[in-house]
Amino acid sequence: MKRLEIGTSVSEAPGRVDGMLQVGWLPDGYPMEIPVIIVRGRGDGPTVWIHGCVHGNEYCGAFIIHKFMRELDLPRGTVIALPVLNITGFQRQQRMSPFEGYNGGDLNRCFPGKPDGTLTEQMAFHVFRHLRAHATHFIDLHTAFTADTRWALFAPPSGELGAKAEGMARAFGFQNTLPTPLDILGGSALIAAANEGIPGLIVEAGGIGSAFTPETVADGAERLRNVLRHLGMLDGDITAYGDMTFFSNFAWVNATRGGLFRPAVTCGHRIAKGDLVGRYYDAHGDLIEEAKSPFSGVVLAIAGGPVMPNGEILVHVGLDPRAA
Amino acid sequence: METIEIGTAVSTGEGLAKGFLKVGELPDGQAMRIPVVILRGSQNGPVLWLHGCVHGNEYCGTFIIHELIRSLRPQDVVGTVVALPILNITAFERNQRMSPFEGYNGGDLNRCFPGKPNGTLTEQIAHAVYGPLRRHANYLIDFHTALTEDVRWALFANMPGEVGKQGEEIARAFGFRSTLPAPPDILGGSAMMTAAKDGIPAFIVEAGGKGPAFSEEHVQDGAERLRNVMRHLGMLRGAVTDYGKQWHFSNFAWVHATQGGLFQRIVRCGDHVEKGTVIGRYQNLHGQPAGDARAPEPGIVLAIHPGPVMATGETLVHIGLDPREV
Repeated sequence: MKRLEIGTSVSEAPGRVDGMLQVGWLPDGYPMEIPVIIVRGRGDGPTVWIHGCVHGNEYCGAFIIHKFMRELDLPRGTVIALPVLNITGFQRQQRMSPFEGYNGGDLNRCFPGKPDGTLTEQMAFHVFRHLRAHATHFIDLHTAFTADTRWALFAPPSGELGAKAEGMARAFGFQNTLPTPLDILGGSALIAAANEGIPGLIVEAGGIGSAFTPETVADGAERLRNVLRHLGMLDGDITAYGDMTFFSNFAWVNATRGGLFRPAVTCGHRIAKGDLVGRYYDAHGDLIEEAKSPFSGVVLAIAGGPVMPNGEILVHVGLDPRAA
Repeated sequence: METIEIGTAVSTGEGLAKGFLKVGELPDGQAMRIPVVILRGSQNGPVLWLHGCVHGNEYCGTFIIHELIRSLRPQDVVGTVVALPILNITAFERNQRMSPFEGYNGGDLNRCFPGKPNGTLTEQIAHAVYGPLRRHANYLIDFHTALTEDVRWALFANMPGEVGKQGEEIARAFGFRSTLPAPPDILGGSAMMTAAKDGIPAFIVEAGGKGPAFSEEHVQDGAERLRNVMRHLGMLRGAVTDYGKQWHFSNFAWVHATQGGLFQRIVRCGDHVEKGTVIGRYQNLHGQPAGDARAPEPGIVLAIHPGPVMATGETLVHIGLDPREV
């Protein structure tokens, strides 16, 4: 069996190997390291790369990966899992690394990275060089804000590679799914991987911090198993999750007001342009403004509040929903 | 009617007066100020002082106070509600417990009362708030959250005599099932204990969890229980709801985590635990099991760490000790 080495995870035989990959250095001179889990199947097959916590406070994906990997008995192929990419953000319960002193701390806008760039660009480089070298398929686990978030994106959106990505998306089976236009999310691992010929899927399940449930974790692990069944890596019937809703794109709406915020919609809600998405209140409890959706479509993510400045994400809306 | 003046909120008669109370100064020289609402009823009566966000990331109480104020018509009220929905404003802005401007030990505002006019930033905030509180309040209700959405418990200052007796009556009118008659030797420096020692019956509500971990139901429920307290105090007309039996405790155990890592709780607030009951599970960065967290005392779970990650020293669990149903 071909030797597979990622950091201190070295796999030469079927089974599981845990290790660490260095992605930087801390100010005290100790390495900044992230966990790597390799599970090698007994026979040949695809190599699925799964990672989570690109954004440090998006913990649900780490728990999904952990549960999935603990329960994985793999006949064919390889799974490479990096449950926590942005380890220092993870430690501080924040999106971006507390050690990033310069612009561009969003790790998911830094791929493929630079060996001599900013802290976050270097993290991206050290992860992506292994992803590019080994992965035949890629899955990136994210959360949005609230516990009810459930949507996915696949790339490329079309062509032969797009068909493979769509197959993964259908096997994962979140109803609200975006075939991702290649001109958005530049610098994301998804688009960087697509540019290298690796079909990929982003999963948005649950919310930031503790805003996710054990049910979401278990459901995510099961859907990952279904993707592996679809890829022929696991035996068993492939669950057909049914019809999906595809979009042309998604609108990323930043709040232009700040204050105490109460959402008026939940994820999956269909809205029309001008519909109420939430209300802002001031410190005395008086209503400042009703926030309206600038777009029609499906609510994919909604700010959880309870307080936010302007510039925060107010809502993500899936545009031009169509049955698919 | 006498004038009630708190910062720039000036009430001279029936109605709503809104303003700000200065509690400090920011590095750019601007005032650090907090919102004040005075809701004056049609007749003189008790002054009920409500405040929230003593800890900046405990937002539920702010929303409960706002909901109560919005639900009241001054002409229906006897007495006055003085509401300071956000005490630790700079911590509130940053979604953290203590002020980001507090550079010294003792940033927990609820351990600084009555405060000092020339102390640390947080001691000065306490001083600015406590002066008006002591001058005006007949009753204090202080809103907190604990850790998770299912938190629902309360404490009253169990002083000897009328202060403790009236505190218990407020606790019954608010009606949370798990309620601690707090011994006077705990929570020193809290607004509750400080006010109680100055003769003001005082009550803490712990409803919901940090940050966004509370729901519209908490807010509506909290506002309704406050109205019930007001009915009990004769500040609103209407029958006082009897919320039924409560669990009272001798004290509560504040347990710090001595293990860190990825954590998932397995108990809910209100669960009975024995010494040694597993309350949560740790896993390491590779997802491998890394140990169990166990209750060090028997009692009722009042608060439990939500995960998903925890450093040592964080609050693991609050347990109500020696529960007795009364």
